[in-house]
Amino acid sequence: MPESPLSRLCRPESLTAIVIIAAAAAFLVPTAALRPISALLPAAMLVGLMVLSLVLLVSDQRKAAAGEAAEPMAAAPKRVIGAFLLIFGYAISVDFVGFYASTAVAIPLVAYAFGFRNLLGLVVATLIVVSAIYLVFDFAMSLGFPSGRLWRS
Amino acid sequence: MYADLLHSLPEVLGLANFFAVVIGVIAGIVVGAMPGLSATMAISVLVPFTFGLEPLVALGLMAGIYNGAMYGGAIPAVLLRIPGTPAAVATTFDGFPMAQKGEGGFALQVAVVSSAIGGIASAFALMLLAPPLSQVTLLFGPAEVFWVAVFGLCSIVFLLGGSPIKGLISACFGVFVSVVGSDPIYGADRFTFGQLELLDGISIVILLVGLYALPPVIDLLEMPLKAEALTGSKLGTESIWRALPRMRRFWKTWLRSSLIGIWIGILPGAGGSMAAFMSYNEARRASSTPETWGNGEPEGVAASETANNADTASALIPALTLGIPGTAVAAVMLGGLLVHGLQPGPMLFRENPDVVFGFMWQFLFGAILLIFLGGSLATNSFARLLKLPRPLLGSVIIVLMVIGVYSIHGRMFDVYLMLGFGAVGYVMDKLKFPLPPVVLGLILGAFAEENLRLALRIGRGDWTTLFANTTSLVLVALTLAVILGPTVKRRFFRARDTGKEN
Repeated sequence: MPESPLSRLCRPESLTAIVIIAAAAAFLVPTAALRPISALLPAAMLVGLMVLSLVLLVSDQRKAAAGEAAEPMAAAPKRVIGAFLLIFGYAISVDFVGFYASTAVAIPLVAYAFGFRNLLGLVVATLIVVSAIYLVFDFAMSLGFPSGRLWRS
Repeated sequence: MYADLLHSLPEVLGLANFFAVVIGVIAGIVVGAMPGLSATMAISVLVPFTFGLEPLVALGLMAGIYNGAMYGGAIPAVLLRIPGTPAAVATTFDGFPMAQKGEGGFALQVAVVSSAIGGIASAFALMLLAPPLSQVTLLFGPAEVFWVAVFGLCSIVFLLGGSPIKGLISACFGVFVSVVGSDPIYGADRFTFGQLELLDGISIVILLVGLYALPPVIDLLEMPLKAEALTGSKLGTESIWRALPRMRRFWKTWLRSSLIGIWIGILPGAGGSMAAFMSYNEARRASSTPETWGNGEPEGVAASETANNADTASALIPALTLGIPGTAVAAVMLGGLLVHGLQPGPMLFRENPDVVFGFMWQFLFGAILLIFLGGSLATNSFARLLKLPRPLLGSVIIVLMVIGVYSIHGRMFDVYLMLGFGAVGYVMDKLKFPLPPVVLGLILGAFAEENLRLALRIGRGDWTTLFANTTSLVLVALTLAVILGPTVKRRFFRARDTGKEN
């Protein structure tokens, strides 16, 4: 059955091309305020991105029209989304709650969520990693880690 | 020219610098042995941690990792038929059948000796070819440097294979990222949107970690590998010195594969996997018993492993002299050089001879150390690494990425930026957009812009100044050849095939 025009545009490559065109167009606006010589390279790159993405979009749409199925981006999309959420959540937590507390939770949480269910192994691994980080980076290299914005305010 | 090479030797043999290579080789084998992790990823994660280190210590670690990872990829390739790195795919063809026949230990010994030979040949090629090539670049003015940058970008886009459109999009993205920050001449803010953190531009390290380290971690978590094929028993390897006489017959393959690997390494855009495949095919063609290939022929392992290690140091020949990396790892290493204030090109050889020549020695020592560190006892231990729980490994790498990027300027903004690049990198990776042009775009973009503007200032705004001398015209011709070459070649072969059919 032929794809609907909307679903055709939702093919990963087409969607990516559309996002690039939109982003490049948005970034092109501030170049108007720059001196021509300062705007030369960025504007050239942005216009280049738009033109090339348009070519990519047209070529992908042709493939769609010819009935060629789009390759899925991930074998297990839920796991990918979960991984991204956990990683971004960890970064936000480091920023707001602090590095050590977030790391002590994130290591076992990520490992457990993605299939490593040995509780003793999780505890031992977390202890080893967090202690090693403290000894190497905090103690030996005097590298300060975020203590958490929440506690500062 | 070569006197500096000898002068730099004592410093490389210093305890810290030599120890860095040892650690690098071990770390590289560990990383290479883990399917899903690569030398590119390991060096990307490592680069931010090297800020506080002496340049030779940092570069020694990188050289060691590169050499080690190229061999490490053979361990799962032989034992599980899963290449630890893309360059080890050809090793699976005969390595795994050997393991099935109970010769896994010998296959890994052939791999380690061949890797060392390939690495040594590559290091010698780097030592011999890079210094004279760097002298040529001394003749370059701003216009020529601009064309070198354009040539480098076009080479990596058009010779990398795959879709040129996607390659060009990657390159444009990289160049665009390079212009974020203050204008180098007028000081105007470009795309900083009031963020003070962006005034100095985007650090290459942030981009490297995001693009090269996050996607493999997501892959690790997406598909946890079950290493059931690996038994806990030892591989049953004999001493490597006892196994050496059985390998003597591979000398022709070692020689041929080394030359193929070195040549592929020098070519921008090609990489270890292409070198390994080409070398495997050539060795099989030259073999008197081609029918045994694919069924556990140790010479197949020798061909593949020699070539994928022979492209390591040679990939740095264009990178160190012209700033054009031959492979993705070389692009990342170029980033590693830049964070230590070492700008590739002729001045690197003039201003920092100890560092650049020391780096070459480190490649040589890294290759030699492979035999000692990847010998039978170590190979048994490295094989056990395959049993490490991958979700746990993934979570530890995430923490290391955050620490590394945060430690550059001590701010979370960089971590968020890295994650943003990571998300972009993941999409690019899945949709087969090549990543090396992004890195090269970031490295060469600012460089090209600065020299373009300088050339235009010298020529008082006259654009013909860019085509005013022979060197520029040669570089323009080379760029056109790189752009049009693949299309012309494709058409030629198509026309020839059509002619044959008719």
